[in-house]
Amino acid sequence: MILDIKNTFAEIGETTIFAKRFFKEVFIPPYETREFLKQCYVIGYKSLPLVAITGFIMGLVLTLQSRPTLVKFGAESWLPGMVALSLIREIAPVITALICAGKISSGIGAELGSMKVTEQIDAMEVSAINPYNYLVVTRVLACTLMVPILVFFADAIGIIGGYVGINIHGDVNFYRFLTQIVQSLEYLDLLPATLKTFFFGFFIGIIGCYKGFNASNGTESVGRAANSAVVTASLSIFIIDMVAVQITDLFF
Amino acid sequence: MEKQSGYTWKLGMFVTIGLLLFIMAVYFIGKQQNLFGSTFHITSQFKTVSGLEVGNNVRFSGINVGTVEQIQLINDSSVVVVLVMKEDVRKFIKTDATASIGSDGLMGDKVLTISPGLKSKKIIEDNGRIASVDGIEMYDIMKSVKKSVDNIGVISDEIAIFSHSMNNGNGALARLVKDDKMANSVSNTLSNLETGTKGFSENMEAAKSNFLFRGYFKKKEKEKKEKQEAKKEKQEERQEKQEEQKQEEQKQEETKKVETKN
Repeated sequence: MILDIKNTFAEIGETTIFAKRFFKEVFIPPYETREFLKQCYVIGYKSLPLVAITGFIMGLVLTLQSRPTLVKFGAESWLPGMVALSLIREIAPVITALICAGKISSGIGAELGSMKVTEQIDAMEVSAINPYNYLVVTRVLACTLMVPILVFFADAIGIIGGYVGINIHGDVNFYRFLTQIVQSLEYLDLLPATLKTFFFGFFIGIIGCYKGFNASNGTESVGRAANSAVVTASLSIFIIDMVAVQITDLFF
Repeated sequence: MEKQSGYTWKLGMFVTIGLLLFIMAVYFIGKQQNLFGSTFHITSQFKTVSGLEVGNNVRFSGINVGTVEQIQLINDSSVVVVLVMKEDVRKFIKTDATASIGSDGLMGDKVLTISPGLKSKKIIEDNGRIASVDGIEMYDIMKSVKKSVDNIGVISDEIAIFSHSMNNGNGALARLVKDDKMANSVSNTLSNLETGTKGFSENMEAAKSNFLFRGYFKKKEKEKKEKQEAKKEKQEERQEKQEEQKQEEQKQEETKKVETKN
């Protein structure tokens, strides 16, 4: 029991050191621009369909689910504003981050894990290529920058989903729908949510990389690395979310 | 290099559209709060702002035309409110416009309403000041409610005293309501009165046929008849006049028709 707790702390400490190394290496040349762009493509563009479908469904379902309650209060006209607010503030960032944790974090974990197991990382080091710079920095940076953009897409598509959801029961002009949304939004809704997604992206990347980079020898550890990358990343997303909400609440 | 260009344009498109969405969101939210586009400021001084907050809407003729930018206490009994408004509506707001604070809906936010004045034709300047009208405060309502409740208290006390004296007192009204004997005697009195009046009317009939009074009654009847006859004559005259007018009109129309035909 105590050993477990100690191990957990040791892992958190190692992850912190791993993350510190990222901040050190990100500014030191050589910059792996081409690898970075490729990772951006894989992480951002390739995840778009998944995020789009989830976002659309979240918008649609949220509208349909919250409609009866609002109708009960006679506040049906608040529906667009409420849906957009909950999408932008909370649901789109968290759902997108969770999807990315499932897709990207496990992918990175498995990829780096198998590289580690087949000693490709050691081979890189021997041939004087900094494996951390080439593998970790590019992936973490790509994650940090792409997840927010994916969240913007999820926001927009979720709002379109909400529009479809509203038009199932009633008939609302799209322009009117958008005005209602814009009326209920403020910068305070948009900016903390956007800032939060950078942290989500960073943690998804760094945890996936750490788990893969530290896979022990043997094929099964690849699977374990991928698995624990997803679990840890998802958990950390919720923890960051909680902290972010409290900080936002404190300041504004 | 060819392989790279296969995905770079997709990545570029992805990033561009994503950032565009963000910029659009920022722009539209900013536009909602009058951060972009030309605006002007108005200040107004209130005794109390009754819960108005920075960011609340400003309405003019029911349209949202701006927001509250700043609320500042200047001394213990006055608050200065600074409003940001769209430049487009400036030409409609004259120097004698007034500002008042109301609430939006039953539980909703506070809203600052600008009402147009009557006389002035001078358009308000940037950073100009308009007069304020103090809205109805809950406190004032409670005050007047308290006054009427106090009055009701006094009235109910008096009613209590009155009904007590009705139930227990010995006055005429109390006895009329309570006492059976009194009721009986009242009804007896009334029936006596009835018979009394019958006898009186018979007496009067008898007096009519008495020779002393006969002349007087006959005179009265004659006057009545004369009046009725005069009325009848007048009515007949009117009818005749109307008929004549109609005939004349018909003639005129006929002559017109003839003229048009010719």
